[in-house]
Amino acid sequence: MTKYRVSADIGGTFTDFVVAEEDTGEVFTGKVPSTPKNAALAVIDGLKDLIPNPPDIGFMVHGTTVGLNTFLERKGARVLLITTAGLRDSYSIARGDRKELYALQYRKPERLVPRRDVHEVRERLKWDGTILEALHEEDLEPIIKKVKDEDIKAVAVCFIHSYAYPQHELRAREILSEVLPDVSITLSHEIAREWREYERASSAVMNAYIAPVVERYLVSLGEQMRGMGVEATLHVMQSSGGIMTVEAARRQPVYILLSGPVGGTIGGMALSKAMHRPNLLCVDMGGTSFDMSLIVNGQPNITSETELEGLPMLMSIVDIHTIGAGGGSLAWLEAGALRVGPQSAGADPGPVCYDRGGTQPTVTDANLFLKRLGAQTLLSGRMMLNEEATAKAIHTMAPQVGLDDVAFAEGMLSIINAKMADAMRTITVEQGIDPREYSLVAFGGAGPMHAVWLAEELEIGEVIVPWTPGTFSAWGMLQTDMRHDLTLNFYHPLAGMDSKEIEGIYEQLKEEGVAALKEEGVPPEDMYFERSTDMRYVGQEYSVNVRVGDKVDLEEIDASFHNMHAARYGHSTPSAPVEFVNLRLAALGHLVESDGRFEIPKEDGDPVTETREAVFDGKAYKTPVLWRYRVEKESKFSGPLIIEEESATTIVPPGYQARVDDLGNILITVEQA
Amino acid sequence: MSTKVDPITTEIIRNAFVSTAQDMNATLIRSAYTPIIYEGKDCSVALLDENADVLGQSLGLPLFLGNLEVCVKLTAELLGWAIFKPGDIYHMNDSYLTGTHLNDSTIFGPIYWEDKLVGFSATRAHWLDVGAKDPGGAMDSHEIYQEGMRWPPTKIYENYKPREDVIELVRRNSRFGHGVIGDMNAQVAACRTGEARFHALLERFDYETVLAARDEIFRQSEQLEREAVAAIPDGTYTAEGFLDDDGLRTGPIPVKVRVDLEGEQMTVDLEGSSDQTYGPVNCGFAQTISAVRVSFKLLVNPDRPVDGGTFKTLTVKAPAGSIFYAQEPAACQWYFSSLGLLIDLITQALAPAMPEKVAAAHYGDSMVIYVAGTDPRKENIPFLSVEANPGGWGAFETNDGQDALINNVNGGFKDYPVEVYENKYPVILRRYGFRPDTGGPGRFRGGTGIYREYHMESASTVYLWFERSVTKAWGLFGGGTAQGPDVVINPGTDDEQHMLKVNALPVDTGGVVRLKTGGGGGFGPAWERDPECVREDVIDGYVTREGAERDYGVILKDDLSIDEKATEKRRKAMQKEAKKSV
Repeated sequence: MTKYRVSADIGGTFTDFVVAEEDTGEVFTGKVPSTPKNAALAVIDGLKDLIPNPPDIGFMVHGTTVGLNTFLERKGARVLLITTAGLRDSYSIARGDRKELYALQYRKPERLVPRRDVHEVRERLKWDGTILEALHEEDLEPIIKKVKDEDIKAVAVCFIHSYAYPQHELRAREILSEVLPDVSITLSHEIAREWREYERASSAVMNAYIAPVVERYLVSLGEQMRGMGVEATLHVMQSSGGIMTVEAARRQPVYILLSGPVGGTIGGMALSKAMHRPNLLCVDMGGTSFDMSLIVNGQPNITSETELEGLPMLMSIVDIHTIGAGGGSLAWLEAGALRVGPQSAGADPGPVCYDRGGTQPTVTDANLFLKRLGAQTLLSGRMMLNEEATAKAIHTMAPQVGLDDVAFAEGMLSIINAKMADAMRTITVEQGIDPREYSLVAFGGAGPMHAVWLAEELEIGEVIVPWTPGTFSAWGMLQTDMRHDLTLNFYHPLAGMDSKEIEGIYEQLKEEGVAALKEEGVPPEDMYFERSTDMRYVGQEYSVNVRVGDKVDLEEIDASFHNMHAARYGHSTPSAPVEFVNLRLAALGHLVESDGRFEIPKEDGDPVTETREAVFDGKAYKTPVLWRYRVEKESKFSGPLIIEEESATTIVPPGYQARVDDLGNILITVEQA
Repeated sequence: MSTKVDPITTEIIRNAFVSTAQDMNATLIRSAYTPIIYEGKDCSVALLDENADVLGQSLGLPLFLGNLEVCVKLTAELLGWAIFKPGDIYHMNDSYLTGTHLNDSTIFGPIYWEDKLVGFSATRAHWLDVGAKDPGGAMDSHEIYQEGMRWPPTKIYENYKPREDVIELVRRNSRFGHGVIGDMNAQVAACRTGEARFHALLERFDYETVLAARDEIFRQSEQLEREAVAAIPDGTYTAEGFLDDDGLRTGPIPVKVRVDLEGEQMTVDLEGSSDQTYGPVNCGFAQTISAVRVSFKLLVNPDRPVDGGTFKTLTVKAPAGSIFYAQEPAACQWYFSSLGLLIDLITQALAPAMPEKVAAAHYGDSMVIYVAGTDPRKENIPFLSVEANPGGWGAFETNDGQDALINNVNGGFKDYPVEVYENKYPVILRRYGFRPDTGGPGRFRGGTGIYREYHMESASTVYLWFERSVTKAWGLFGGGTAQGPDVVINPGTDDEQHMLKVNALPVDTGGVVRLKTGGGGGFGPAWERDPECVREDVIDGYVTREGAERDYGVILKDDLSIDEKATEKRRKAMQKEAKKSV
């Protein structure tokens, strides 16, 4: 009987599917409109469409923006926060910093819990775990009464120094859960075992805030899946790039918060494995934003902290750098100068060519004007673009800066490309990474249209446009592993440290990791572990994450720290004292023996659908337009060339050549003479 | 310049300048050693052209706006432009040149391209200790010689090689030498980042093109600014206020501002402000210019990057020998207290001209505490913690002032997390929270100040620099004045003491220091505030029930519902009273 491995990427507009037949290795994709009110519906609909007999699903993973949207729309639960007496306001003060410096009328990012819902109980530990004041359990009574009376559904607890000494938080939960069985309770140390009470409280509050909504969604999806006869365990994509079971995700929903946005990077990681390209620079260009991330030696960069709308969160997350640049970026004029972005036309009114009232040319309009984008390309012709309106908008603006229309449109693209390239330089060159050793992976609706110019600016030799860039992240999800990130605050100087002490802590973290993976059904032989530590010079605040081998070797750790510091910052001081901040362990569960290879179905017919007069460097070229699904593997083409598909358009300018590899990826390089 | 450059190239080059400065700043902040730089963002970087005009600047500290180029120009005046050789890097901190205190090290180097001087990369960062008579810098200095090592422009790198003897001299003159050298390295790294990015740009576009683009970029900035200044109604606007004292018990210290607007020109004249003081609240003129530029930038095109075309419409005047134009040997350690007030006053002066852009005064100063001592938990190693504290900001035309926010001359400064602080220093922070009723009442309320309480686990020495108790944060357009700061030593005991500034105060084990910062001013009359907003503030605890009645005339019942009748009556009486006093 055929078994299927399935992934679903639930986005705001569409839910994408990638299905792999286990026997044949054949892969196919699907797309259905998302159902924001009950996201599970779209998943069920899609599965019914794609899989003849749903009980044949042997493995299922999905990424979801349910948590993120709950936060962005501020539709989460009312949360009550419990803190250590005397320090209640640390959450509301939010460290007192300004994110904009030239603003007399500055307001802090809006927090999720108003001050009236932050309560104190008497308890206090010192930095070394000494009890300064025992937990006054009676202080919880009025809080419990309030939770009951006001029907509050979620409680977060953040006590001082709980990252190392959680006993008071644990006791508080014991008391609370006994009398409040239906209330979701989040303990800060279970979300982030790191110091900094505001950031930890903020992470715990976020978890509590989205928990009831995510829980409802996961339960509903599970029930409906079982209703279809699916018995396979459901998995969810995490922000860290690994996956976890639904059961684990229900306890720590904050870990799946950014499971949507990281999908592309995870696709990049899978691609890196399949194509044997260890180093990739992944760029995702959509309507309003341009996301960049790196795959280094086959692995994504993972950071331990992020901010969402100004609210900090301590958790492992794939490092994605974003700037405001996309198809919707607007051209505007001031003081006789032409600027492009960061303002965007967004979805409404959108580019001029969408005919929804926009009058200012956007990047998409420039691509259309230059005939790099076809008027009937979007959504396979279901959406016609108005070329006349675009031409008019460009013609209105171009003379004001003394340019002809074509130079203006190409100029717009040059400006936005240079901006994106500057940002790419920041995450590579400025971090000690040489982009020339990387391949550029482009996806998102606009990415493959701009990729070659970005590569050129950074002297990157190869552009990869993956097969179906529109469902790229769903594809990546099928290739990744189970993952749990464990951290322990470990603030000690390296000098005089006993490696056995560190070894002992890693063992302890490993035990926790083994337990978590075991609970998720990973057999011991499929478990593997990655150890690292955050280190810095004594007195520094920012730390560098240093990999630690199977055996803790302090000299080696010291040396790699100085090397990494020098590589990243251009200097190091090997004689200066160094300290540990955190010990980290990723517990991973290997899922499938997959080399990322797959079979894709092919459409019959002539791949060339038309020839357009596309403009490059001020000159119109007769440019063949190919329909990607009809292009043979291992075929080669010379630019200029346009390759269209459902969700994206790839541009191969003159002087470049494209090859389709045996996986269906388009590889673009400079034309060999 | 004869070369013509198209608008596309110009815009690409403009973006590259800005992005270069951002990359320099990222290099500096991420590799700096001291929290004052990486958390307090007490730093600044700039890419300059061959005349030392700004191509791109990225700021940690607003107060360093448009100041780095001055240092390079002054160095050229002193030593001649020919002095700059490829691979050289200079360090300087002389207050009368740089304008700030000696802790601020300005480090810059020339950039060469094809044997030609084409620009400079420049950085500034606050060093934790430069060998003043007290750790970190004195609170009671009265001559610059007490404030640490004073460096004229001094070469620390020659032809890309460090001058180890000079660097060692820097190291040996700091109590935290290795940290200071770490920060110096971070600044040098930032200079190199600037150089590399500029070279990359020149490789892509030739030098002539970059110069032509630069001229066009400067022209654009200047034009935009002229238009913005011309839009402000002409007239003469004034304001005045007082610093509490000079740190050595002489005060209050007057600060006077007169702003003349005439067409496209704005002139800020500080005539009438105090002569330079015995205590350390003086600053060099270069820094005064920067502070006025900050005020200007807060109100004129705040979103636009700064370059060589900006500030052409702004003239700053201050009498030589005044606190804003200090001369040797005036003490300059706390130069920024005067400047924070100056910025608030310029905003106040211009309020009638641009009510929608201004805000009432904020709590005023960095409200600094140092705790020094040795840590018995760590073999008695010496420690020094340096903190600024947040307070309330002024309300404005459309919203309340922000509660608990760091002051205007600071950067993206974050408070020290209690957990990190207690791990690092032998002190327990027992209480940290809002002070209700400290925000000035108004249609929009001023932000509230905070309190923060230190319990000493070992005998320590405390240094304080708190300001703005004389001229508390004022309101605008009928808004009320905020409450000011206070520091209480050993509250509730027989030896309870109140003070705002102190140098090296011993506090015993078990002793307590309670800091209180002030609020921000209100905007519009308090009786115009929506009673529902007042009620919400009471529920959240930003305003007490008594405060609601006293300051807003809103009377709440025991269940915190509004007593409408009593409220109306009380508010009418408030209005009458206000009319009478006018």
